[in-house]
Amino acid sequence: MTRAAVRYVPVSFFAVVFALPIFWVLVTSLKRQSEFGSSLFPTQLEWPNYQLAVVLADFMHFALNSLVLSGSYATIVVIVSALVGYGFARHRAPGRNQLFGLVLALLIVPTFVQFVPQFVLFARLGLTNSYWPWILWALGGSPFAIFLFRQFFATFPRELDDAAEVDGAGPLRIFLQIYLPNAGPAIAASAIFMFLWVWGDYLYPALLLHQDNTTLAVRMANAYVDPHGNPLQTVTMAGVVLYVMPLILFFAFAQRFIVRGIVTTGLKG
Amino acid sequence: MEELKLTTTRRKILIGAGALAAAAAAAPILAACQPTPKTGGSGKVTVMTDPNEFSDDDRKTLENATKLKIEVVKSDLTTLYAMFAAGNPPDVFRVQAAGLPQYISRKMVKNLQPYFAKSTLLKPDDLAPANNFYKWDGKQIGKGDLYGMVKDWSPDFTLFAYTKAFDDAGVKVPSDTTALTYDELRTLANKVNKKAGGKRVYWGFVHSNNDQWIDRTAMNMLAEKNQNLYSDDFSKLVISGNPEATKVIRYLYDLAADGVNETPIDPSPNWMGADFNEGQIAILQYGYWFSAMAESDKTKGKTVMLPAPTWAGVRRDPTMTATGWVISSQTKDPDAAWAVFEQYMGGKPAQDRAKSGWGVPGLKSLYPQMPQQTDFQKQVQKVLQGELSKSDFILQFNPYIGEETFSTSWKKNLEPALKGTISFDKFVQNIESEVNTAIADGKRIIGG
Amino acid sequence: MAGATHVLPRVMPRPALLRRRAVRRAATFYLLVSPWLLGFVLLSAVPLAGALLMSLTNYDGLNLDYVAFVGVDNYARAFSDPEAQHALLRTLLLMVLVVPTGLVLQLLLALMVDQPIRLSNLFRTIFYLPYVIPVVAGAWVWKIFVDPSGGLVNALVGAVVPDVNIRWLVEYPTLVLAVFTIWGAAGGGMVIFLAGLQGIPAEYREAAMIDGASPAQVTRFITLPLLTPVIFFNLVTGIITTLQVLVQPMLLSPGILGLSPGTVPPLDNYLYPVHAYIEIFVKQLFGYGAALLWLLFAVVLGLTLVLFGTSRRWVHYGVEA
Repeated sequence: MTRAAVRYVPVSFFAVVFALPIFWVLVTSLKRQSEFGSSLFPTQLEWPNYQLAVVLADFMHFALNSLVLSGSYATIVVIVSALVGYGFARHRAPGRNQLFGLVLALLIVPTFVQFVPQFVLFARLGLTNSYWPWILWALGGSPFAIFLFRQFFATFPRELDDAAEVDGAGPLRIFLQIYLPNAGPAIAASAIFMFLWVWGDYLYPALLLHQDNTTLAVRMANAYVDPHGNPLQTVTMAGVVLYVMPLILFFAFAQRFIVRGIVTTGLKG
Repeated sequence: MEELKLTTTRRKILIGAGALAAAAAAAPILAACQPTPKTGGSGKVTVMTDPNEFSDDDRKTLENATKLKIEVVKSDLTTLYAMFAAGNPPDVFRVQAAGLPQYISRKMVKNLQPYFAKSTLLKPDDLAPANNFYKWDGKQIGKGDLYGMVKDWSPDFTLFAYTKAFDDAGVKVPSDTTALTYDELRTLANKVNKKAGGKRVYWGFVHSNNDQWIDRTAMNMLAEKNQNLYSDDFSKLVISGNPEATKVIRYLYDLAADGVNETPIDPSPNWMGADFNEGQIAILQYGYWFSAMAESDKTKGKTVMLPAPTWAGVRRDPTMTATGWVISSQTKDPDAAWAVFEQYMGGKPAQDRAKSGWGVPGLKSLYPQMPQQTDFQKQVQKVLQGELSKSDFILQFNPYIGEETFSTSWKKNLEPALKGTISFDKFVQNIESEVNTAIADGKRIIGG
Repeated sequence: MAGATHVLPRVMPRPALLRRRAVRRAATFYLLVSPWLLGFVLLSAVPLAGALLMSLTNYDGLNLDYVAFVGVDNYARAFSDPEAQHALLRTLLLMVLVVPTGLVLQLLLALMVDQPIRLSNLFRTIFYLPYVIPVVAGAWVWKIFVDPSGGLVNALVGAVVPDVNIRWLVEYPTLVLAVFTIWGAAGGGMVIFLAGLQGIPAEYREAAMIDGASPAQVTRFITLPLLTPVIFFNLVTGIITTLQVLVQPMLLSPGILGLSPGTVPPLDNYLYPVHAYIEIFVKQLFGYGAALLWLLFAVVLGLTLVLFGTSRRWVHYGVEA
C-alpha cells in the first residue's frame, strides 16, 4: 500500500503539474475568440477553431513540408552520427583526440554566431529555397548526436569487437552487426532530438526557404490572424494542438522502440 | 584506454578551439573560390514585400502587364540584410521612409529620377506629397531626386474615437472640425481612461503604433516649433540639452506614467488596432488607412475620425511611415525592375488599392477612387480632406541609424523608469547615450 | 621503445606489424569520421571563419563597400558596455535558476517512470510532451497560461486569494521564463537519463538487492555512480543551451504575440543573446554582435573546461573501453 503510494503519488503529482499548461491549451482552443480574455471556460465547445486552424495555415501542405524535411534530416543525420560516434569510440588514430575536441567545441559555439555567414554560404552556392542545406547538414552529422553515440558506444564491452575481429569481420560489419542493432535507445533518443530540431526550428527555415516550401513552424507564426491582422489566440491554440499531435504519435512509436532496444544488458553475457 | 579518460578532454577542447581559429585563417582562400552571384537579366524580378500588400492576383496582373516572371519574398529585415550580405539583394524591395536615408546614403538603392522623367504612368506633377519622403539631395530628404515611391500613405496623426467610452465617462466627444491640442488630449485621455477591479476597460489614448514609432510622433510635435530630436547635422540626439525636446519627451512619458497608454508595465496582448476593434481604446492615433478596419461588430456606428492634434498651434499631419518600394542599386536588370515598379504604382494594382480604402493613393489622380459610401466613410473623407492640406511635410529621419534604434531604446528604458528603478532624467540620459553611440557607429561606417 | 628493439633484436618484425596495424586502424578511423570531417570544413569552418572575420570589422549588414577592419575594437567595446554586463548577469542568473533544478527534475522523472508502474508510457508521454512543443508555440502556451485575465494560473491563485490580478510577465518575468525553460527541457533530459538507466545492467541492481540493499541504497550507490556520464552529459548540454537562450524571452515579452526585431523583453529578461540580437538586427552592428557572440563562446568554453576539470572527481565511466 505505502509502496504503491511511493510509486504513484509523486509521479502523478508531476504529471498533473506538467499537463496543466497543455490542458489549458486544449481549453483555450475550444473557446470562442470573444471569450478568450473574459471567461475562464468555454460556454460551448468551439470545434470550428480546428477547422479554421487547418484552413488558415494550409495545414496539410506545410505539415507535409515539415515532415519531409525533418524526417529525411533525422534519418540521415542519425546514421551518419552513429557511424562517426562509433569511429570516435572505438578506433585509435593520431589526431583523434583533437578532432573529438573539435566536436565538443562545435557543440558549444552559439549557433547564432553562424547564422548570417551560413546564409551567405548557401546563397552563394545557390542552395537557398531548397532543402539541400538540411541534407548537407545531415550528411556531415551532428556534434550533439556524435557526442551522444560516442558516449553510448564507449560503454560497450570491447571484447565484442575482438571476438568479431577474430571472426574476420571488418569495422563496418562490426558497426552494422553489433553496434547499430544494440544502439536502440541512443538511436531513438537522438532521432527524436534531430527530428524536433528541424520540426520546431523557426530561424533557419524562415531565412533559407521560400514561403511555399517553408515549414509549418514558420507558416503558423503568421497564419492565425483575422482579415485585419489581429491575432486569433483560440485558433492559434487549436493550431498548436494539431502541430504537436504528430509528434505525440511519433514519440509513442519511438517509446516502444526504446523499450525494445534495451538489449544492452544482453551484451554482458 | 588512456585517451578516453576525461582528464585529457580539457586539452582536447582547447586544441579544438585552436583548430577553429586555424580554419578561420583559411577562410579568405575559400571565400575566393565561391562563384559570383547571378541574378536578373533572365526576365525574372525578385520583389521583397509584405504578402498582405501584394496578392497573388496582383502578381499575375503584373506578370501579364510586364511579360516578366515575378518572385515574391516575404518582407523581413533579417532576410533583407542576409540577402545583401550574400550579394544577392531583391531587385525591388519594400521600405518605410525611416529606413530610406540610411539605404540611400549607403548607395544601396537606385536613383529613379531618369525613369520618373520618362514615365507616362507616374508623372512628377501627379505624385502625392508623401512621395517627398523618397527625395534625397545628398544631405537630407524632401528635396532632390526620387529614389522610390509610396505604395499608398496616410496623414498619420489623426485620431479615432470610440464614442461609447466617452458616453460611459459622461464626456462629450470632441468636434471633428477643430483640432485638439496635445494638452487637451491628455486631459481628455485621463477622463475616459477606465479600469475596473484591476482589469482594463478603456485605454485613454494609445499612439505611435505601440511605441514602435515613438520618435516619429516626437519629431512631428517638435517640428511645429521648427525643432528636431537631432542636431542639424544628425550627429547627436539632443533631448536634455534642448528644453523643447525635453518638454515633448516629458509629455509622451507622462502619458505612459498616467496609465492611459499601453506600456511595458501595463501591456496588452494585442496590437492597438485589435484593441480598438475590441472596444478597449477610447482614443487611438492612426492614419486614414485604419478607417478601413476601424468598424468592428463592437465599434460599428460608435467610431469617429478626428483631426490630428497640435502641439504648438501649427498643424502638421504628414505620414510617418510612407511605406513604399525602392529598386536595389545592385539589380542586374533595372529596366525590368522598373517595369514591375511602375505597374504596381500606377497600373491596375494601384487602382485596386485606392478603391480598398487602405490608404491615400500615391498618385493624386487616384484620390477620387477612395470609398465614400457609408456614413462612416463620408465622415472620414470629410476629416481627411481637411488633413490633406496639412500633410505636405516630411520628417527628417537620421541617416546614421536604423529605423528602430530610438524606439528600441525607448521601450527598453521605459520599463525601469515606470517601475521607479530609474528617474526620468536617467531615462532620458540612457536613451541619449544608447542612440548617440549608434549614431557614432553609423557615422564611422559611411564616413559622415 | 627505441631501447626495446636493441634488447630484443629477434622480435624486429613485431613493431613493424604493430605499425602496419596502427596505420590500418588510423585509416579506418579517418574513413569512419570522414563525413563529419567534410561537413565540418564545408558547413562549419567556412561560416565560422566568416563570423570571426565579421567580428573584426564594422560591418553593418548593408553595403559591403563600406566595410573596414577595426581590429579588436569590438571586443574592447564589449568590456565597457554596461548593457552587455547586465545581460550577461541575467543570463548567468537564468542558468543558476534553471540548470540545477532542471537536472534534478529530469533525473527524478526518469527514475519515477523507470519503475515498473502502470501507465508508465502515459507518464513518459506527458513529461515528454512539453519538449516536443516548439519554442514559438510553447511561448504562446505560457503566455496564455499566465495571462492575467484568460489564464489558468491567476484563476487558481484567485481561488485561494480572491481578487488578485497578477501580471506575471510584467512582475515576475524571469520566474516565468525559468519555469517555462525547465518545463520545456525536462522531457529531453528525462529521455537521455532513461536511456542511461536502461543501459545499466539489471544484474548490478539485482545483485545489490540480493545482498540486502534498500531501493534508496541501490539508487545512491549503484545507479547514480553508473549514471554519472549521463548526468555529466545533461549538465554540459543544459548549460550550453541555457546560456544561448534567445527567442524565449523575446516571445515572452508582455504585449504582442510574435517575433519581430523591435521586440524588447523586460529588463529582467534582457539576456545576453538578446542583447547580441538587438545589436545586430536593430542597431545593425553585425561586427559588434559577432564579437559579443564569440565572447559568449569564450564564457561557455570556460565553464565547460571547469566542468571537465571537476569531472574526473565524480564522473565514472563504469565500463571503461
